Amino acid sequence: MGRKKKKQMKPWCWYCNRDFDDEKILIQHQKAKHFKCHICHKKLYTGPGLAIHCMQVHKETIDGVPNAIPGRTDIELEIYGMEGIPEKDMEERRRVLEQKNQETQKKKQNQDDSDEYDDDDEPGPSFQQPAAGQPQAGYIPPMSQPGLPPGSGAPGIPPGSYSGIPPMMPGVPPMMPGMPPVMPGMPPGMIPMGGMMPPMMPGVPPGIPPPVAHRPGLTHMPQVPPAANVLTRPAVSAAAALSAQPDVTKPLFPSAGQSQPTVSGSPHTPPSTSSDPLKPTFPAYTQASAAVSSPSAGSSTVSKPPSTVTSKPATLTTSSATSKLIHPDEDVSLEELRAQLPRYQCSIPRQGQPTAAAPSAGPVGGIMAPQQHGMRHPIPGQYGGPPQGLPGFMPGRMPPYGQAPPVVPPGYQGAPPRPPMGMRPPVMSPGGRY
Amino acid sequence: MSLFGTSSGFGTGGTGVFGSTTTDSHNPMKDVEVTSPPDDSISCLAFSPPTMPGNFLIGGSWANDVRCWEVQDNGQTVPKAQQMHTGPVLDACWSDDGSKVFTASCDKTAKMWDLNSNQAMQIAQHDGPIKAIHWIKAPNYSCIMTGSWDKTLKFWDTRSANPMMSLQMPERCYCADVVYPMAVVATAERGLIVYQLENQPSEFRRIDSPLKHQHRCVAIFKDKQNKPTGFALGSIEGRVAIHYINPPNPAKDNFTFKCHRSNGTNTTTPQDIYAVNAISFHPVHGTLATVGSDGRFSFWDKDARTKLKTSEQLDQPITACCFNHNGNIFAYASSYDWSKGHEYYNPQKKNYIFLRNAAEELKPRNKKW
Repeated sequence: MGRKKKKQMKPWCWYCNRDFDDEKILIQHQKAKHFKCHICHKKLYTGPGLAIHCMQVHKETIDGVPNAIPGRTDIELEIYGMEGIPEKDMEERRRVLEQKNQETQKKKQNQDDSDEYDDDDEPGPSFQQPAAGQPQAGYIPPMSQPGLPPGSGAPGIPPGSYSGIPPMMPGVPPMMPGMPPVMPGMPPGMIPMGGMMPPMMPGVPPGIPPPVAHRPGLTHMPQVPPAANVLTRPAVSAAAALSAQPDVTKPLFPSAGQSQPTVSGSPHTPPSTSSDPLKPTFPAYTQASAAVSSPSAGSSTVSKPPSTVTSKPATLTTSSATSKLIHPDEDVSLEELRAQLPRYQCSIPRQGQPTAAAPSAGPVGGIMAPQQHGMRHPIPGQYGGPPQGLPGFMPGRMPPYGQAPPVVPPGYQGAPPRPPMGMRPPVMSPGGRY
Repeated sequence: MSLFGTSSGFGTGGTGVFGSTTTDSHNPMKDVEVTSPPDDSISCLAFSPPTMPGNFLIGGSWANDVRCWEVQDNGQTVPKAQQMHTGPVLDACWSDDGSKVFTASCDKTAKMWDLNSNQAMQIAQHDGPIKAIHWIKAPNYSCIMTGSWDKTLKFWDTRSANPMMSLQMPERCYCADVVYPMAVVATAERGLIVYQLENQPSEFRRIDSPLKHQHRCVAIFKDKQNKPTGFALGSIEGRVAIHYINPPNPAKDNFTFKCHRSNGTNTTTPQDIYAVNAISFHPVHGTLATVGSDGRFSFWDKDARTKLKTSEQLDQPITACCFNHNGNIFAYASSYDWSKGHEYYNPQKKNYIFLRNAAEELKPRNKKW
């Protein structure tokens, strides 16, 4: 091999240490594997570019470069092809290559020295760094999650995991770490979950965008919808954030079985252990969920209906590039909004005046039933001759706002099921309003 | 042709109200249309309990009325009676014996409608519109539970003008459900409270909402032993959370799923997210139905965590739904829910209630419930 022309003989990918014949191919590889947005599959050019894209378009932060080996996941390093590789990594690579070369040469030459096994060295260098660099890769399940600072150099996402996730259907709800084999005919609805599938959360990523869009509040944590929690559980669990469920105890609810006080809270711990394998394929999500902690969506706020999150008119209906809530931008319910309209204002705020006149709306009285025996004039004449016995409804005439004597409810035939009552029940008239 | 009970083609069930309609977007599912629907948006639907023979459907509407229809086996619906309030009716429910219907209205009162006599009398009073009303039948007491926008939850013995009990809530009641001995109330500001009803109602636990948006509807589900074990909570953000009260593994057992959204897989255009207006559980299969502002209904199997079916899109939002007592009939109402504000309200537009044979479509997938 000649002297080092470009930085190293053959182009190699800094993120995953793979060799390529040509830099062009290397770049294509990087774009497809390391700089590809997991949400929309857009291929960016660099790591930082990907991070910015995710933030701006999907409102999501990513912690590390996808499919990168531990230690090489730094999203902030601007590497393109062979450019931008830190010098020390270059040297290390050279060393490794040289060692490999020497090894092969040695082998050829010194076949006898079979005692010396150079293999030991090999794995060494390449892993040292990662090892060292491997921050707490362990995603320390027990959390202190809220905010697993993404910065910590990439919680070593198991390299393989990301690649495993094929283009996620954006429509897929963040349901669980679904079972890879999605049920056929399972439209982008729920993914059958059989249980937690240890590594892979195919379902998660796609689900994120929309919900995320609404949670601008959390800085780096892409506020993952609680569903994602399911995944994380591990972290979450501890997260304790488990809002202090005000244990009004009272173990009732037969189904409860063990309804101990801390119901919702405690069970978390067990999960943590089991879900380890799950770990964060999407560190972003895990953390978020961690912060969120299982059922509580309230993120930081505990117990009390998180006023911080949600319901702030502004956040309520964020329209983002990816989603739009079809709901008025307010903190009140649709019914409350509608009820404010003048046309729906109750007509006479009756407060219980049992006057005959009152019931204009004929609420009480309405009716006819006593008429069962042909009483022809049911009520104190408020409504002149209500057609009783009318099997049909008064076609629509119902004044929308209840006022007016109108209506008259057709007779309740009731014969079959109900023994004709007949009695004008003493209460007849307006029926005893309170 | 027996509409309910076993297969067979319904749809031919005469409703006679509308003629042809091949592909009318108001009824793309070609379901049976209930005759004489209310004149304004339908806020609630409820079928009679099994204690009564036959199927009777009540529907409350923003036209201040609550109507009762008899649904016959051949699919015919016969209007039977109606009652009025002085304000829009927001919720209605049946007593356990099917003789009375309780209605709750914006006029801050709740009424008890005796169907036999067709008389209604006021049984409750709040300081604000009553959004939710449920009948509670306990071994040692029976009462009506009313949840109001005045932030109180009151319990009424129908014979007395004063509530038996009044519980303060953190916020306005938006929806509630009762399956003895459990009651769940979801309030504004994402509040969520579970009550236990044994002996007397009391607050059991306040839960941190699994959802990040305004709560809109809630429905309790039962376990295999027919005991209430959790609930499904829907929000305005096209999402439903399945939450168990005491699950062995909450993180794993509780989950949420997205629904009632447009552009499922298409990421190029923004996705429209619609509110979930109502959730109902099938009384036999334990599977659930959700209806949304997008004008669709969907059936889901929460145990298999899969979607069973999604309907075609109706031209109006679907505002209410319910199953009859044996799960053969699924009723859903098509009317405007105000999701796009008052500009889209057209008082002339007809409101509909449709009935669908639900015996087959809601069977659980794989795992038997």
